[in-house]
Amino acid sequence: MTEQQNTQPEPQGAPAAWRVVIVDDHAMFRSGVKHDIGARVQVVGEGEDVPTAVAAVLKADPDVVLLDVHLPGGGGVEVLKQVHATEPEMKFLALSVSDAAEDVIGVIRAGARGYVTKSISADELVDAIGRVAEGDAVFSPRLAGFVLDAFSGSIDVAAVDEELDRLSQREREVMRLIARGYAYKEIARELFISIKTVETHVSSVLRKLQLSNRHQLTRWATDRRLV
Amino acid sequence: MTTPVLAPAVPHRADRRLDAAWLAGVCSGLAVHLNWPVLVLRVGFVLLSASMGVGVIVYLVLWLALPLAAESPRAPGLEAARRGGLRTVQGPSRVPADLGAMSAVVLLGTGLLWFAQSAGFGLPSAALWPALIGTTGLMLIWWQADHIPTRSMKGLTGMRRWFAPLIAHWSRIVRILLGLLGLGTAVGLIVVQLPEMSETSRTLLVLAIVVFTLLLAAAPWIIRVRRSLTAVREEKMLADARADMAAHLHDSVLQTLALIQRQASDPKAVSSLARRQERELRAWLYGETAETGTVKAALVTAAAEIEDDHGVDVEIVVVGDRDLDQELRSLVQAAREAMVNAARHAGVDKVDVYAELDEGTVEVFVRDRGAGFSLDEVPADRMGVRGSIVERLRRAGGSATIRSAPGEGTEVRLEMKR
Repeated sequence: MTEQQNTQPEPQGAPAAWRVVIVDDHAMFRSGVKHDIGARVQVVGEGEDVPTAVAAVLKADPDVVLLDVHLPGGGGVEVLKQVHATEPEMKFLALSVSDAAEDVIGVIRAGARGYVTKSISADELVDAIGRVAEGDAVFSPRLAGFVLDAFSGSIDVAAVDEELDRLSQREREVMRLIARGYAYKEIARELFISIKTVETHVSSVLRKLQLSNRHQLTRWATDRRLV
Repeated sequence: MTTPVLAPAVPHRADRRLDAAWLAGVCSGLAVHLNWPVLVLRVGFVLLSASMGVGVIVYLVLWLALPLAAESPRAPGLEAARRGGLRTVQGPSRVPADLGAMSAVVLLGTGLLWFAQSAGFGLPSAALWPALIGTTGLMLIWWQADHIPTRSMKGLTGMRRWFAPLIAHWSRIVRILLGLLGLGTAVGLIVVQLPEMSETSRTLLVLAIVVFTLLLAAAPWIIRVRRSLTAVREEKMLADARADMAAHLHDSVLQTLALIQRQASDPKAVSSLARRQERELRAWLYGETAETGTVKAALVTAAAEIEDDHGVDVEIVVVGDRDLDQELRSLVQAAREAMVNAARHAGVDKVDVYAELDEGTVEVFVRDRGAGFSLDEVPADRMGVRGSIVERLRRAGGSATIRSAPGEGTEVRLEMKR
């Protein structure tokens, strides 16, 4: 990942030490993450189940919450719900050992701005935290694959009038490149657009994923028992 | 390692889908089963109902005969996390009913009924009202039976266990009482219209009608008890299978741990062992039930083998799936060869593989961010790329494009029209 190291976004020249709360029920994992990224972000709180996580997040008011999907007390989705009830702007990056579509889509629909698996490297994690903190979305190749799966199929254009219910040509291209393992910078170069535009496309896909009532998405999700 | 396939114990059969139901989900269930548009079935039932109420009777029989759509078994890790309260699971979201279509069908039904009655080939008016009121009452009661969750009854004892679901909400009692009232009225109307007969046979007949009605009203519960007995037996079998599987996995984890201890001085071997074990556990705990003989399964297997043989991470994403055939087998072989090349020559520890299968085309991308090479400089005797990827695919009727430059990494794109 040498390339990604070089391209870490450092807005306004200074490395922004994002304030992060880590939520995970395994103390070992929390300390591991802290050890890996503690030098580059500021860990301002920790939580080990839903109540402690909600309390820690509300107390510390971090830029980003690293949220485990499986958590005692109802899971990451419950933390999202409770925090967003008082702090609707709080940004969450979901982190999980499970790659099940059910969990990925579930936590995104609940309001997380990104999803990465726990095997992610420290550099990529710091990079992802930065993106989420700046209000962008973080899509792993797998999440992009799920999105393409959910929004794919023959789209009956006449029946779909809601803008929310389908991906634009450009958004589909961006998703495919993410699924192929391209970083945002590489996507920008491939499609001759700016990185900012790539981020806009990804954020817009995230919004659609969260808000769409698209029949096919619902159907796909129900088939897999999601949503 | 193959992911265990927990096949349902019964072959696929029609069921009722409450998530898209207007009434009991009979039509939406049949629509899924027969792969027909649901509206056709709904209109069909309405049309049938106009001829002496046949449609209604068929609908009611199916209501009882078809079981509710069962939840498909989840991966054990997810199931365990749900039971432990580590994650929240919303039920399948209801598809909102289309009010326009619904009122159209209701109007059609009313119109047909009125037409049949006034044209004189409907039910005799003496039978019409009891039939209407009785059916409505029966449906109200049965509808309740569908919507009382069984899960919450567990853990309660004695009388509370029986009445808890009823007193959970006042509207349930009201609806059930209304339903019983409807049935009672219908029975009353029938009894009043009975022809002249002796007192004894009249009493017996009334008794028979009342018992029959009560049995009818209780039918969903009776059937549910019978079905839950079967379900318990199936669950037991599944649990046994899972226990065997868990034992097997624990064994393999122990093996891996022992191997890691013995090879602790060789970091490469250790990480390869750990990776394989992680993949196995993850596939078993959170994986979707793996199919065999599909492109996806073949690609995933190939990726796993390369992870093991070459000590790299292969991140694989597959969108869509289809069954393997001779040509697609060649495609998978070519993709595998591309992965091997990336693992061997790129000098990186991660390879991205993305496959997209839709009706017309199958595309596979294999990408690394490694050393890359200049296509012109590949010596003619190096068979890897030309022979095993480009030529192989061309023979199978596909095409391969390779994009690479020194220092830029390599991407192999395989395409096949199907």
